[in-house]
Amino acid sequence: MALARKRVEEVPAVGDRLPDIGLPTNCPGCGVGLELEEIRRQVYVCSCGHHFPMRAEAWIKLMADQGTWEERWADVRPHDLLLWKNPKPYQATIDEARAEGLNEAVRTGRCRLAGREIWLAAFDFRFVGGTLSIVAGERLTRGMEQAASSGLPYVLVAASGGARMQEGVLALMQMAKINGAVGRMHDSGVPYFSILTDPTYGGTAASLALMADINIAEPGAAIGFSGPRVIKQATYEDLPPGFQKADYQLAHGQVDMVIPRTEIRRRLAHLVELYK
Amino acid sequence: MTAPASVWQLVELARHQDRPYSLDYITRLAPDFVELHGDRLGGDDQALIAGVGTWHGMTTMFFGQQKGRNLADRVARHFGMMHPEGYRKAMRLAKQAAKFNFPIISLIDTPGAYPGASAEDRGIAAAIATAIMEWFRVPVPVVAAVIGEGGSGGALGMAVADRVLMLENAIYSVASPESAASIVWRDSNRKMEAAEQLQITSKDLLAMGVIEDIVPEPAGGAQTDHDAAAQMLDAALRKHMEPLLAMRSAELLQHRYDRFRYIDSLIRAEPDFGPKVESRL
Repeated sequence: MALARKRVEEVPAVGDRLPDIGLPTNCPGCGVGLELEEIRRQVYVCSCGHHFPMRAEAWIKLMADQGTWEERWADVRPHDLLLWKNPKPYQATIDEARAEGLNEAVRTGRCRLAGREIWLAAFDFRFVGGTLSIVAGERLTRGMEQAASSGLPYVLVAASGGARMQEGVLALMQMAKINGAVGRMHDSGVPYFSILTDPTYGGTAASLALMADINIAEPGAAIGFSGPRVIKQATYEDLPPGFQKADYQLAHGQVDMVIPRTEIRRRLAHLVELYK
Repeated sequence: MTAPASVWQLVELARHQDRPYSLDYITRLAPDFVELHGDRLGGDDQALIAGVGTWHGMTTMFFGQQKGRNLADRVARHFGMMHPEGYRKAMRLAKQAAKFNFPIISLIDTPGAYPGASAEDRGIAAAIATAIMEWFRVPVPVVAAVIGEGGSGGALGMAVADRVLMLENAIYSVASPESAASIVWRDSNRKMEAAEQLQITSKDLLAMGVIEDIVPEPAGGAQTDHDAAAQMLDAALRKHMEPLLAMRSAELLQHRYDRFRYIDSLIRAEPDFGPKVESRL
């Protein structure tokens, strides 16, 4: 497609159209009281460097060129297949999330980034902790299969507690379903970029999130398989400072780079260009 | 055998300390079994047994997650919880099996991958993810059987196979009942309720279409008679391996991809996507 490359939009312009994400009154990083408009223009990064978790909708607005987002498979809905009752019926969890306007833990679609077409998938931590479910797995897999067949780069924004308990072993099976598609995407020569945000754990970390050509962590993001609470319970270990955080995972060879959110659009557009 | 009164009794049976472990089966399936060690990257994970032996006239690559029989053995094998080195050893030898066209048998018996800083620091998430992805590229038949506990991603990392079987009293779950209880109730003492809700028995998984077959056990459970249990497993493995041996590599790999691609599609009507499983509670 002979399209002139657009300049990457500056952060304040993009920040202006991000939705309200329900910030606390003070920054958990530095304790300073927050000005919503100011922090929004900084794409929800405090001047102290603290990155506030963003919902899927905000990530889509941040990554997609204005007016280019075409969501796919939003009509694929979860089902309470195990008839899960306690401590809260799964159906009630699904209904409440839907009433809040949330549409599952992963949203996916096509858009442009600085003029170049990409597939984009963003986890939403507010939907049952961004847990990997049948619907999340299906949306991710379909997108990857289409990226592989159409030759478009695939961009993932991860934020997930792992597999969803309420869908039992079928949630676990999503890890295999998705990684089969990840393999096909790699075989087809399509570039895959994964942006790891806080937190990315469990079955999501142990399937698609760390399998990109380029793993990019957000500053301060916790990334791992078992979380510190589980590890302390199981092994009584004292964990080192910064354990599993972005810089720690960079030092331990798990990610290629740590990029602040204020630079991610520009840097990712550059990477997409390098791997075209 | 009489059916266990509760799912929790089944969990205890699946974890029974006299139950045959992977080595007990492998040495009976292939009496000339030779164990192979190491990932060639700096480690050897004793939570995973790997090696070759003759099974029904064919050199076969065996993998088995191995719990320890006594305390020292259990500690050395991390109670069957694998480190990254285990998955990397498996991938090295799966490629070797492909080189020599050996079929692969993988026995699953783990509470989960090792939940400690040593595993995290060496990349357990990426090791499991890589193994899951690479299994789809192994161009020889792979049959997996859950012989005791199939715990979480640690189990799945060794169970991306053409056929997956479960012993009658085995369990296979997205997380151990203790972890699931700790996640949904913030209280691992609710493990029994979690076990019931998770639907983790061999019958549940067969109904969901996640496994192909249930392997019967001797009366009272596999722990009562290791020889008989091994014979029953042998018969089931053979039954499921046989048709795979006749398949060409490309066909095998496509079948394996589709097996997992549509594993949740017993009922594929949208918008209510996903299977509907009748409650057995």
